[in-house]
Amino acid sequence: MTATTDPGVTVTELPPPTRITLRVADPTGQPLPTRIGAIEGCALCLGPDEWLLEGDAAADLVAGLPGPYSAVEVSDREITYLLEGPAVLDLLATGCPRDLASMPVGAGARTVYDTAQVVLVREANDRFRLTVWRSFAPHVRALFDIAMREIAAGL
Amino acid sequence: MLLIHCPYCEQDLPELEFAYAGEAHIARPADPSKLTDEEWRDFLFIRTNPKGVHFERWRHVNGCARFFNAVRETVGDKFLATYRADEPRPDISSLTGDAK
Amino acid sequence: MTSYRLQGRGRVDHGKPVNFTFDGKTYQGLAGDTLASALLANGVHLMGRSFKYHRPRGVVSAGSDEPNALMGTRRGPGRFEPNTRATIQEIREGLEAASQNRWPSLAFDMGAINDNLGSLFSAGFYYKTFMWPRAFWDRVYEPVIRNAAGLGVSPTEPDADSYASRFAHVDVLVVGAGPAGLAAALAAGRSGASVMLVDENAEVGGTLLSEPTVVIDGQPAWDWLAATVAELDGLANVQVMPRTTAIGYYHQNLVGLAQRLTDHLAAPPEGAPRERMWKVRAKEVVLAQGALEKPLVFDGNDRPGVMLASAAQTYLNRYGVKVGDRPAIVTAHDSAWHAAFDLAGAGAKPVVIVDMRASVDPALTDRAHALGIEALLGRTVTGTAGRLRVTSLRVNRMEGGKAGEPRDIGCDAVLMCGGWTPCLHLFSHTQGKLAWDEALQVYLPGRKTEAVQIAGAGRGLWSIAASLGDGANAGAAAARDVGLEAEAPVFGVAADRTGSGITLKELPTDRDPAKAKAFIDFQNDVTAKDIRLAVREGMRSIEHVKRYTTNGMATDQGKMSNINGLMIASDALGKAPPQVGLTTFRPPYSPTTFGTFAGYHQDATFEVTRKTPIDPWAEANGAVFEPVALWRRAWFFPKPGEDMHAAVGRECRGARASVGIFDASTLGKIEVVGPDAVTFMERMYTNPWAKLGVGRCRYGLLLGEDGFIRDDGVIGRIAEDRFHVTTTTGGAARVLNMMEDYLQTEWPDLKVWLTSTTEQWAVVALQGPNARKLLEPFVEGLDISAEAFPHMAVAECTVAGFPARLFRVSFTGELGFEVNVPARHGRALWETLWQAGQQYDICPYGTETMHVLRAEKGYIIVGQDTDGTLTPGDAGLTWAIGKAKPDFVGKRSLTRPDMVAKGRKQLVGLLTEDPKVVLQEGAQIVADPAQPKPMTMIGHVTSSYWSDALGRSIAMAVVVDGRERDGQTLHIPMPGGTITAKVVKSTAFLDPENRRLSA
Repeated sequence: MTATTDPGVTVTELPPPTRITLRVADPTGQPLPTRIGAIEGCALCLGPDEWLLEGDAAADLVAGLPGPYSAVEVSDREITYLLEGPAVLDLLATGCPRDLASMPVGAGARTVYDTAQVVLVREANDRFRLTVWRSFAPHVRALFDIAMREIAAGL
Repeated sequence: MLLIHCPYCEQDLPELEFAYAGEAHIARPADPSKLTDEEWRDFLFIRTNPKGVHFERWRHVNGCARFFNAVRETVGDKFLATYRADEPRPDISSLTGDAK
Repeated sequence: MTSYRLQGRGRVDHGKPVNFTFDGKTYQGLAGDTLASALLANGVHLMGRSFKYHRPRGVVSAGSDEPNALMGTRRGPGRFEPNTRATIQEIREGLEAASQNRWPSLAFDMGAINDNLGSLFSAGFYYKTFMWPRAFWDRVYEPVIRNAAGLGVSPTEPDADSYASRFAHVDVLVVGAGPAGLAAALAAGRSGASVMLVDENAEVGGTLLSEPTVVIDGQPAWDWLAATVAELDGLANVQVMPRTTAIGYYHQNLVGLAQRLTDHLAAPPEGAPRERMWKVRAKEVVLAQGALEKPLVFDGNDRPGVMLASAAQTYLNRYGVKVGDRPAIVTAHDSAWHAAFDLAGAGAKPVVIVDMRASVDPALTDRAHALGIEALLGRTVTGTAGRLRVTSLRVNRMEGGKAGEPRDIGCDAVLMCGGWTPCLHLFSHTQGKLAWDEALQVYLPGRKTEAVQIAGAGRGLWSIAASLGDGANAGAAAARDVGLEAEAPVFGVAADRTGSGITLKELPTDRDPAKAKAFIDFQNDVTAKDIRLAVREGMRSIEHVKRYTTNGMATDQGKMSNINGLMIASDALGKAPPQVGLTTFRPPYSPTTFGTFAGYHQDATFEVTRKTPIDPWAEANGAVFEPVALWRRAWFFPKPGEDMHAAVGRECRGARASVGIFDASTLGKIEVVGPDAVTFMERMYTNPWAKLGVGRCRYGLLLGEDGFIRDDGVIGRIAEDRFHVTTTTGGAARVLNMMEDYLQTEWPDLKVWLTSTTEQWAVVALQGPNARKLLEPFVEGLDISAEAFPHMAVAECTVAGFPARLFRVSFTGELGFEVNVPARHGRALWETLWQAGQQYDICPYGTETMHVLRAEKGYIIVGQDTDGTLTPGDAGLTWAIGKAKPDFVGKRSLTRPDMVAKGRKQLVGLLTEDPKVVLQEGAQIVADPAQPKPMTMIGHVTSSYWSDALGRSIAMAVVVDGRERDGQTLHIPMPGGTITAKVVKSTAFLDPENRRLSA
């Protein structure tokens, strides 16, 4: 019989950083990555004209941009979890249909986990940040708890 | 669950990230008031619904959020091509020749 | 142990007895047994009753194709499963199993009378027998048939188990871990490809598990198997998954796997799910599912003790169980001869080998002679005898193509083999074409639609040597296709027992074929004569024959019956089998629990339940909740002893008399930003926006291009280039998608962007005459006096120390404010206002009161008072249309002929004649209650409430030409009698002059 063991992954809610959704028609010459999924500084490129800016540098980046653009603060819109440990890919595979093993460290993506839209950032081989709209967070968290028990059960 | 090539993300990604959005290349008339009732009806409701090659719109709603166009073969349910919303219709014969 | 277990034989653990019960009686098996093998070891062959005729049935197979040995299995409350295949279910300590479809007992079953009424249940009996009288159908026929015909009973308790699901991405998925699958996994695994090897059985090995005498690379089969599994387990890139059934093969190499995790464990670990659904995306798939043995079709081929020859061989070699002491073998293929030889070698005394063929390989007959087994060639089998277990076999000579003189041969088991059919179910899921092979008389894989290879017996290769080689080639090719260097390993095989055979229809008989019970589909009780009858009665397509007879329509999907059914139908139609064709295989490959499909979606995680930041306060304060889209919202806040009616009445009074507080956080919010924001708003919404000043709000109405109302909400202009748009709670995602669609694809030139801020803001609404008095002390940086901050004003300010967007809006007709603060502060703001509001008897109210208050004012709710067919004109909202605008979404449709024709349904008020009667929402309305049925319905009630403020009921309804009927009396027929009500053109029941609003 397999005893219940350490699931090999932890889930931690992080304090909310400043988050800004930035939309710019033409990012040429701006300090913004242009490949979808790429991260430069505080900016993650989510779409051809969309960036998620996170952290203290976000406001300064926006202030330095020539118009026109749209910057909307969404710091409170979502919750971020830090997922860390050798079993992190198994944990995410319980609900995310993407092949995350092939996601490079230092990249990100908007995708889904179960029925919730999420933004994933791979910080290290065994460490991801997952950002999800506030009201979907308890559902995602509940699924993580179930999945962690499942992984710990060892079957 | 299909794999769909997003022409903006330039990746093959799972269908769960996408949403279907109807037939493609039906532009909203610049001045609808100039259309007859019949023309406006056709714009609203008349679709080709082919058995075979279909030009359609998808949105990478759980991804880059872009609407884009796709050529899909409706019998085998295979995508022949996807392309950006502002690109012209691709040549069908180049796609159906020996499509895998 | 009983006499049927052979000491030391098989792969079961003879040192580990396992106790289980069957129909209440305790039996002992061994670790490694299935329910079927353990029962056979105890001499139990009778395992169930058949579907229609309630005939006694024993186990036929040793695998997932089993049609007969289906049982109810149980592990305590909430853990009951009907129709468990005894051939797949491993025994565990304490397992409870029970036979099905019998009453009062398995040995004596009243329903067996159906067996004597066989003519009643012939092909098409559903369509022919129970036609008349019509009224009998619902009350008599269906309940009786449902009760009498059918297998297990549905569980009645909620499933106490949990289920899991997992996505996976691999280079090569190998389905089936027999010789071909193992070789494929080795070849691909050694190349470095990521490989998943799955098998539905408890143990990998496939045929090797029942062919221990084969020698591979100089090692006995089981030693080679152990070494191979060890090598695969040692490769980090290879995952070997037994107890895992590939149930469906979908587009672009997505394969669904159902993995059984705990059903074989006596004590599953804490938190372990029972089963897991895998959704595997593979670059390459190798299907190595082997072949399925076919029964022979003769009268009495379903008697307990009659089984497939390969099953007997598996029970012997894998489980160490003799299925009988004196088995008779009937076959059309060489393979069954080897089963006889193995049984003889294990101490059984096979009484006869009857082969339908006139001649066979002399090596076989020589071996039979040497073992003292009588061999009869060129015979037919015409019957069996025995009540609950076969006792004899009736064998006839063939004379001039006809059955001749019969002879009865005593036996205690009949082992049959009608040849083998490649298992191509999954391949068929992909719409891969099957091609009839005339030489082998089987269907083989033809044109492929996916990146897939079929290896081994699935391609008609019947020997282990050929399967190993074929699998190795397929695995190496798959690895090369994903860009790796791979070599196919070469295996040296000795003592391989290959063979050949023929494919037959039902066997010739000297008796009346119309009386023969020669079964094709054991699970659905379909016989050979049913197929012939279906053809006689005009069925020509194999799909029609299938549906008319139900052949192949049971949960085993005709794994045993399809080819036999086809051969007989072809013969009856006078066509070759490929001209008749096969029916379509569909997922799932074998029965799969609902739980596996549901995965994590049960109980609290059944679906997302969205909660606002203020939800915990509502919960702590006794709110009753209702679902609104995915949200749960506080519905009402009952005080002790209050019912809903009393609570809602009190909440309404509280808001109208002093101040109510309401959580409006779920409203959809979209920030529209950019230099072209106003142009975009002009095009999307019906209303004019250009002249809306910064700091002002307007009610916005959104149509579809078809002119029907899609959504509405208050929209504030925060800056020249920034709007704060609100949508309905349920419409938020839809509206944003629609806006993005226009923006991206119709007007990409506009410099404007949309961002959802629904969850950025928590929204606290204060409504009532004391709303300003309560709020004013907490507002900094803004004068909210009536003059400085009038109705429909918006401003950014600070409220209770939190940055806020403050709206002066009302959905109640009272003086009202909606305070938007960043979501993390929502609860603190609510509690601050709640505390301060005590001096005004502040009243928290829920969505029901919100609905009543807005209905008293005649404000519509999109989706309740509109249903997707109402225009602004129908809803009385033409005032919201910017008449001077050249265009907006839906404008052109508003002048289509049908949209301006008379006879459209219009939204009006309805006041019941008896003010105490509250109409039912959805109730139908008629003009004349005396008209004959079916009456002409002219509309329906959309909203209906008891209004505390008005002391009577109020309702809104859509009625044909409703506004022209102002003052008319209409009728609402209900089960308890017809209700009369008067139409009022205006739905503003309370304070139509809006005096309270502008206070």
